[in-house]
Amino acid sequence: MSDPINVGSVDAIDEGEAMVVPGDENGTGEDIAIFHAEDGNFYAINDECTHETASLAEGWVEGTEVECPVHSARFCLKTGAALCLPATVAARSHKVEVKDGEILLFPHAGA
Amino acid sequence: MNPASVLVIGGGLAGYNTARELRARGYAGALSIVDPAPLPYDRPPLSKEYLLGRRGVADIELSPAAWFSEQGITLVTGSVVALDAATGTVVLENGQTLNADAVVLATGGSARRLPIPGARDPALFELRTMADADRLRVALAPGIRLAIIGAGLIGAEVASAALELGATVVLIDPIDPPLVPALGPELATRLHLMHADRGIEVLTGLPVEITAEGPVRTVHLESGRSIEADAVLVGVGIVPNTALAETAGLETDNGIIIDPHGRTSAPRVFAVGDVARIRAADGHLERRAEHWENARNAGAVTAAALLGQNPASPGAPWFWSDRHGVHVEGVGDMAAPGTSVVRSNPDGSQVVFRLAADGTMAGAASIDGGLAIRAARRIIDRRIVVAADLLADPAVDLRKLAR
Repeated sequence: MSDPINVGSVDAIDEGEAMVVPGDENGTGEDIAIFHAEDGNFYAINDECTHETASLAEGWVEGTEVECPVHSARFCLKTGAALCLPATVAARSHKVEVKDGEILLFPHAGA
Repeated sequence: MNPASVLVIGGGLAGYNTARELRARGYAGALSIVDPAPLPYDRPPLSKEYLLGRRGVADIELSPAAWFSEQGITLVTGSVVALDAATGTVVLENGQTLNADAVVLATGGSARRLPIPGARDPALFELRTMADADRLRVALAPGIRLAIIGAGLIGAEVASAALELGATVVLIDPIDPPLVPALGPELATRLHLMHADRGIEVLTGLPVEITAEGPVRTVHLESGRSIEADAVLVGVGIVPNTALAETAGLETDNGIIIDPHGRTSAPRVFAVGDVARIRAADGHLERRAEHWENARNAGAVTAAALLGQNPASPGAPWFWSDRHGVHVEGVGDMAAPGTSVVRSNPDGSQVVFRLAADGTMAGAASIDGGLAIRAARRIIDRRIVVAADLLADPAVDLRKLAR
């Protein structure tokens, strides 16, 4: 577990929106999307849809799920689990904490 | 019905997802899928990334072999030649028999042949299976002349891929533009024009004969025009594979007749996907749905019915197509009575909404529309009445209109 990355104020991501922390900044080599879900919490999963090529940060957030903007696979923001076809593989999930109004990302590398 | 054993005939998406959903819903009984292919695979890439060689076999398998073992799903490689609907017994072409409490027919469709002389020439190409795609890929050497009959989804996608592989492509369809019922005239026209812009020769005409001379095939059109080609792909739709159901005595009519939960006329037998045709509660026969999404949803609906559960309603039907670097989507019914509203975004992408007279949305279609179709689907399913001027204004966030 590496040190957390302060990705900015909670105000930086509106509810239902997401922000991408590029792979070369988060240290895992893979882009990570941080979502402000409709339950008010922040969650982080790998940005790339596990089905084909698409950014989940550009997807449709509903509740604590995101729907891929290209082929409509849905993922659980809390766990990264693939909830429907065409995706069958989970997106890697990362720990997020909010401290003093700042979003802290704990990138989790490896399988 | 809670069967002790389920046998799925056909390992396409509908059959695969029936098995997947059965396990996801807690089914612990015996479960097998019979298909000529060793592992279920996804078909949309066959006309795109797989044909282009950018994705391989392992990339388009719906799940790896290990997943089927973990899930306790037996894959039987073979073809079913007979079904006894009363006992749930099937016979494979090698003589092996299998038996189950419930049988799910997911036999899909075969490429439709043109009703013209020369259409049964085995040298013609069609695209339904991985083997079809492999054969086409080998033929698509740079510089070859490819004639494609049918400019619907498969024809248009292969035209785009073949162009990328260096072929000279002629795309033939009797209708100009195709896909109006699916996309509306605005986007259908724009998409069809893209072919010519990229260097494909687009011909509007009706093929009346295909002749052969050595390796060259000539497509003759009703107008008298003829097109010489080194390869001819025919993509003019499918016919449902109902033969097994018919000989088993099930009710069929251009598809295996099912109720909205996948039940056929035989109590033990269900049908899903391209091959199935729903008789609605009021008795009318719906059109068969041949899109990927229907195959996925039908698997879930039928798995639920097999277990006596109620699945969520699938909502408005949706499809996509990828060609010439653009992503096309449609949801709902673009041919419904009403009016169309066009949203043209500053980046050149476009969305067309079909509104019914009561202000609800019947359908939407887009080219590179991003989240617009996701918004439209919710507006349709939730029967939200949205003002046309807000839909047309690219500055208005569609997500807010859908909530």
